[in-house]
Amino acid sequence: MTSNDTPRRIHPKVHEARDLMNRGRMSRREFVRIAALLGLSAGAAYSMAGLTPAFATQPGLPFPQDDSNAKEGGILRVGMQVQRMDDPATYSWVEMSNQTRHILEYLTFTTPDNVTRPMLAESWEASDDLKTWTFRLRQGVVWHNGDTFNADDVIFNFERWMNAETASSNIGLSTFAAMVEEKDGVKSMIPGSIERLDDYTVRLHLTKPVLSVAEDLYNYPTAIVHRSFKPPFSDNPIGTGPFTLSELRVGERCILKRVKEAGGKPFTYWGGKVYLDEIHYYNFDEDNQLTEFASGNLDTIYEFGIEQYPLAEALDGNIIEARTAQTVCARMRVTEKPFDDIRVRKAVVMACDNSVYKDLVFQGRGDIGENHHVSPIHPEYYRLPELKRDVEGAKALLAEAGYPDGIELTIDCGNTDGPWHQTVCEIMRDQLKDAGIRLNINVIPASRYWEIWDTTPFGITAWTHRPLGTMVLSLGYRSNVPWNESAFSDPEFDKALDEAEATLDVEERREKMAKVEKILQDAAVMIQPIWRPVFTITTKRVHGFPAHPTQYHQFNKVWLDS
Amino acid sequence: MLKLLVRRLGQMLLIMAVVSLVLFVVFDSPEFKKQIAVNELGGFGVRALTEEAYNNWLEQKGLNVPFHERYIDWLGNILRGDFGFSFEKNTAVGPLLAERLINTGILAFWVFALMIPLALGTGVLAGMKEGSLQDRAFSFISVFTTSIPEIATAIFLTVIFALGLGWLPTKSAMTQGFDWRQLVLPVATLVIYDFGYVARMTRASMAEVMTSQYIRTAILKGIPYSRVILRHALRNALIAPFTVIVLQLNWLLSGVVVVEVFFQYNGFGKLLLDAALFGDIYVIQAATLAAVFVAVASQIISDVGYTLLNPRIRFG
Repeated sequence: MTSNDTPRRIHPKVHEARDLMNRGRMSRREFVRIAALLGLSAGAAYSMAGLTPAFATQPGLPFPQDDSNAKEGGILRVGMQVQRMDDPATYSWVEMSNQTRHILEYLTFTTPDNVTRPMLAESWEASDDLKTWTFRLRQGVVWHNGDTFNADDVIFNFERWMNAETASSNIGLSTFAAMVEEKDGVKSMIPGSIERLDDYTVRLHLTKPVLSVAEDLYNYPTAIVHRSFKPPFSDNPIGTGPFTLSELRVGERCILKRVKEAGGKPFTYWGGKVYLDEIHYYNFDEDNQLTEFASGNLDTIYEFGIEQYPLAEALDGNIIEARTAQTVCARMRVTEKPFDDIRVRKAVVMACDNSVYKDLVFQGRGDIGENHHVSPIHPEYYRLPELKRDVEGAKALLAEAGYPDGIELTIDCGNTDGPWHQTVCEIMRDQLKDAGIRLNINVIPASRYWEIWDTTPFGITAWTHRPLGTMVLSLGYRSNVPWNESAFSDPEFDKALDEAEATLDVEERREKMAKVEKILQDAAVMIQPIWRPVFTITTKRVHGFPAHPTQYHQFNKVWLDS
Repeated sequence: MLKLLVRRLGQMLLIMAVVSLVLFVVFDSPEFKKQIAVNELGGFGVRALTEEAYNNWLEQKGLNVPFHERYIDWLGNILRGDFGFSFEKNTAVGPLLAERLINTGILAFWVFALMIPLALGTGVLAGMKEGSLQDRAFSFISVFTTSIPEIATAIFLTVIFALGLGWLPTKSAMTQGFDWRQLVLPVATLVIYDFGYVARMTRASMAEVMTSQYIRTAILKGIPYSRVILRHALRNALIAPFTVIVLQLNWLLSGVVVVEVFFQYNGFGKLLLDAALFGDIYVIQAATLAAVFVAVASQIISDVGYTLLNPRIRFG
């Protein structure tokens, strides 16, 4: 325990959470997560919970312990789409952020055990009502140009994210949504929402309680850039991380090398030992990464799809699988014909059987989706009665809605996560046929799909993993939020979700989620067939490679056998 | 001859002007602007923008200027040798295009170096004795290979030689610098697809020559058969294949997309696909100009060559 491991004040909700844990109402892991979000150091939270940390880090650092066998040096070759590095605040791909994550860092860092730890922040405290958050920043962090990292950098970034001209998607996250106001159609930061207390302390003032502040600060477009930042980042890649950009050719390669000096002085990285000399990203499309890996020209790849699993098994490498809350929603827009009639939507949902995808598409892996977008791996997941397929019921409802001879529908499919989206649509088509619903699948390029994802009457959209069920419901299903692609709007639902979000007790929150999930499931806005696992592979010479459900690359402690 | 050249070059400039203008008009639609926005900011990002923020973004990118103004600007820059800037790749289009054309040129060179002798050889051998066993065998092979799509050939070759036997690399991204082994599969795929067409053209031309009077006369005069073929028949039989081969240049530039994308080879075809999917207007424009240039240039070469080879044809 170092001095900065003991916060000055333990949030009352941590005590509340500990009581819940002691009464068996909250799991120990969940306690650790919540306590860490509320500013307790992970080490202290684990010891309070009486657990050995699932992800052992060094005191005061978010990175794993040094490995005494580790060898220094070498080049890690990674197959991934190599994309532009323009403005980290407007990144729309995890791949972009992976290229950048070795150069720029975040205030917080969510480790693979789902615990959020301090990174460029050293600690944080929340007020009792969760509306005022104070972040103490880490001292001794140096930018690659020799400047010292301080509160000015953080304030500069927050203001950029919430400036409408930046066009950052961060504005959709709960934390920042609670710091902006909308006037005459323009969203802007409420003046004074972020306050500078001294060189290393900033305070956030939110308009409503938010528990996920620390988690939001590790969303991939929230990397902290230097206070002088002007896009494109690739032209002047000043960061605080151990690597810097040496060459970027979009669609070809991205070469990262260790930083040796900063502003004329030797550069000392704040985060301790780093083993690799260089990281090379080579551009390969998703379907080509594993085949190139098979040739032995790569050490690891971004991901491979389930259809390539047999090939991966035949290769000499370590397959890394992560259970995730990544999913697809075949959602119907409730304002468009014929989906404005709930009987049609219900008929579509009733004619489908969500239990088959796990076996047909993912060879028994993943989790069955239940049309309410809360995953069994979310802490507040409430198990509703199992969905039953009812073909006759679907036919009856269609007849009632004025389609006695069945109905023809078209779903737009962009395969934005790979060809398995189309497989899902084809299975749906076969199931719907039994109920007299003729489904056409309109396959379009991924980039085309992202132009219409929010407006098409019927489309299949990919949603990424988020650690809490309430986070994704807030982003996608509240009335009139930007990402509400189904146009679903129900004040009852919004109210129930508010209540769940404001409840710390996981048992209680789970009870409250029962209502939230039920409302959404009954509204029949989507068929959500599966929670998918993600796969990657490394050669046997790669050690310390972290599996991450969101596929974030953080290679500080990765090392290579010669 | 000179008149022909001038007329053709005039036509070329006209085509380029019309095509580029049409592209500018097409890309001026709000849908295409949204496509660029979606590709830059992501679908979720664009959705989070207010109307005003979106217009701001367009202004930053210089996309809200009326297209005729943008077209005039672009034209002026082209004349100065500046092909604009790639939205997707964050780099000047000129050097990028030049590099990709060179890469595809390397591919094309090897394809031609292997295909021409192979196609002419089989075509001549097949056409020498129409209806013979060797003719039937060669014709069958030609039709068979041409009828398999390139993508299927690429997959078969990869599965057999790269994944199965492990003799060759699976992809051709040249990540560690130039590696000739990575050229083998893409070149083989293109040769297998293309040689049959040229071979059948050669065969038809050869067969026609073999039935002509002067060949029969030469054989009856007792000139050795080999000499009849090499001296008398080939000269006339190769005129038609010559034009076909030159026109393959044009086919190769567009037909190479599938192979380059499959093998992840950084050439002109992959650039074109990336740009089309992204809506990278200045790259598409420059690539189109290059494609039009190659199409017209290959036609001029084949016409001029044909007149030189065949004294019965005169342009002018």
